[in-house]
Amino acid sequence: MNRYVKSATSLSIFFIACSPSAYAQSQAIGAPPEASNMKLVGMNDLQARSAYQPTIHHQGDRWIAYIGHHGGSDDIPDPMNPLTEKAEPNGTSIVDVTDPAHPKYLRHIPGQEGKYESGGAQMVRVCDGKALPKGDRNAVYMLRTFGSEAHEIWNVADPANPVLVTRIGGLKDTHKSWWECDTGIAFLVSGAPDWRTRRMTQVYDLSDPAHPVKIRDFGLPGQEPGATGAVPTEVHGPISTGPQGNRVFFGYGTDKGGVLQIVDRDKLINGPKEPTPENLRFPEIARMPMSAFNGAHTTFPMLKMPIAEFAHDKDGQTRDIVMIVDEAILNECNEPRQMVWFADVTVENRPMMISSYTVPESSGSFCERGGRFGSHSSNESMAPVFYKKMAFIAFFNAGVRALDIRDPYHPTEVGYFIPSITAATDKRCVTVEGKDRCKVAIQTNNVETDERGYIYIVDRANTGLHILELTGPARAVAGLP
Amino acid sequence: MHKALTAFAVAIFTLSGAAGDQHARSDSEGWREIAWPFPRDAWPAGRAFRCAEEACGGEIELYVRPKIGFCNCDSGVADDDEVDRVADLDLMSERFAPLEPGQVIRIAGMRGRLRAYDLRMSDGSPHTAIGIAVSHRCDLLVAVAQGKGSAGGVQRAALEFLGSKEMTGWMVSAVGGS
Repeated sequence: MNRYVKSATSLSIFFIACSPSAYAQSQAIGAPPEASNMKLVGMNDLQARSAYQPTIHHQGDRWIAYIGHHGGSDDIPDPMNPLTEKAEPNGTSIVDVTDPAHPKYLRHIPGQEGKYESGGAQMVRVCDGKALPKGDRNAVYMLRTFGSEAHEIWNVADPANPVLVTRIGGLKDTHKSWWECDTGIAFLVSGAPDWRTRRMTQVYDLSDPAHPVKIRDFGLPGQEPGATGAVPTEVHGPISTGPQGNRVFFGYGTDKGGVLQIVDRDKLINGPKEPTPENLRFPEIARMPMSAFNGAHTTFPMLKMPIAEFAHDKDGQTRDIVMIVDEAILNECNEPRQMVWFADVTVENRPMMISSYTVPESSGSFCERGGRFGSHSSNESMAPVFYKKMAFIAFFNAGVRALDIRDPYHPTEVGYFIPSITAATDKRCVTVEGKDRCKVAIQTNNVETDERGYIYIVDRANTGLHILELTGPARAVAGLP
Repeated sequence: MHKALTAFAVAIFTLSGAAGDQHARSDSEGWREIAWPFPRDAWPAGRAFRCAEEACGGEIELYVRPKIGFCNCDSGVADDDEVDRVADLDLMSERFAPLEPGQVIRIAGMRGRLRAYDLRMSDGSPHTAIGIAVSHRCDLLVAVAQGKGSAGGVQRAALEFLGSKEMTGWMVSAVGGS
């Protein structure tokens, strides 16, 4: 230890000792993770790339994680890929998680040049060719965004050697799309150049991924080309229940002006397609505006949920629930709290918010830790292991939170895991009196689960992928041994 | 080229004030601060001002506020559609239509766009509005001015006021600049 490091260490100890309330909860390299009823199984540093969305796919006898990344940082725009020994703009990481204790990094597919939200390849969905009506039965297709300018489909049958199949380009933005593997219908969050909003939805038939067929453009009236007046909140992402459920739940807004829109899928796909206000309203069943304080990042449907409390009621024993997750945008609590909401949409044209959940700020002094505090996203897997029983919420510097949602009128936290920071964890800054003040904290961005019951969380601040499992009472909630 | 010249002209105008303005006065003369007239929405209230008819050639109101974390950090205010979306025109009325393509502008050292609108108030009366959105890092500073006079007159008065030393200092501070 040289004298400068000694001095810095002494100063750090001094400040920590003098300001216990401000720094007691700060994360430190080498400190253990904070956890309750969840434990770490394995991790991968994802080449220290800022991670957005993980998707876990059971591929033959292997389990593969596909992880979308934001663009690089000011300090490291193009991180080094040790496999190629080249600096590459952030794109998609492909990791073999068959053995979750020893995840193996297989491949990085570079994304669009650009930093933070202006580059990378943030989103990813995967469908087997044999599930798609017109797919190559030997192929596995990965749909990803390419920065703001395109959607791409890759054949990842050999996940270490992906092959580009097709590209849908010419866009001004992209975001969190949805792809029905059994029909091939895709709801692509895009920015069509002539629309008045940064993000809207393009519905495509991707049943033959090599030959995409556009069905229509869709958005809220007022967003379409040629409209005037107020422009409604932009879409963040849809989730479809497929032809059986015949509903698509659209979430609009991130941290402000959220809207849950319930849409008749059949009318959306087969109805009049010209983007007139009348045609855009045609498939809409209901629209539930939220407070201007909150957005609708994820709208996760859980239909026909049996509610134990209502079991002896003559009517309404089961309820259709949509879990709505807001996205925190600003560091260090400089905005209204972004959290989780549960809406009862059983009576579709009268959806009603019934409950909410947030991490208690005081449980970790999260507003002082640095970075964002608040929700961002939930797992989107509908595999039976957790579906309608547990939900996992990415909560930025509060890590991932495990909720018992069997009674969605009273969601209850049953576990959490906040990973340790590492030397790769990037700083997050706020402006104080015109100057940057930066702190380092975990920024759990997204979470996904697999059919085996593992929970995968990824970090926006470059810390990587953590694979978790439930322990103790939380396992019992899911019915796991 | 035309856009660049327009932006240059707007910037010069902003810096120098309206040399030929028949209502010669100091930059903020005739303006007085009023209470923020709109109900709470997604962003905290900003500041509101009114310019009397005798000072501005017609009564004009101007509303200005920061929108923190509401801007693409790299591209800033990229196009006219973004001005339509963010410039707070909908606080006054959801019915507005642009009069012409917008233009690049620089206010208080921040780059963005300005656009003129025909605004139809709830009572059906026609107003003119000037929407302005400029950015600093990932944050926006938006302003909208409205009155019954010509778009040129409302724009001239609004830019002159926003270019005053007091307003420039406040706007820079509001978005955390220095």
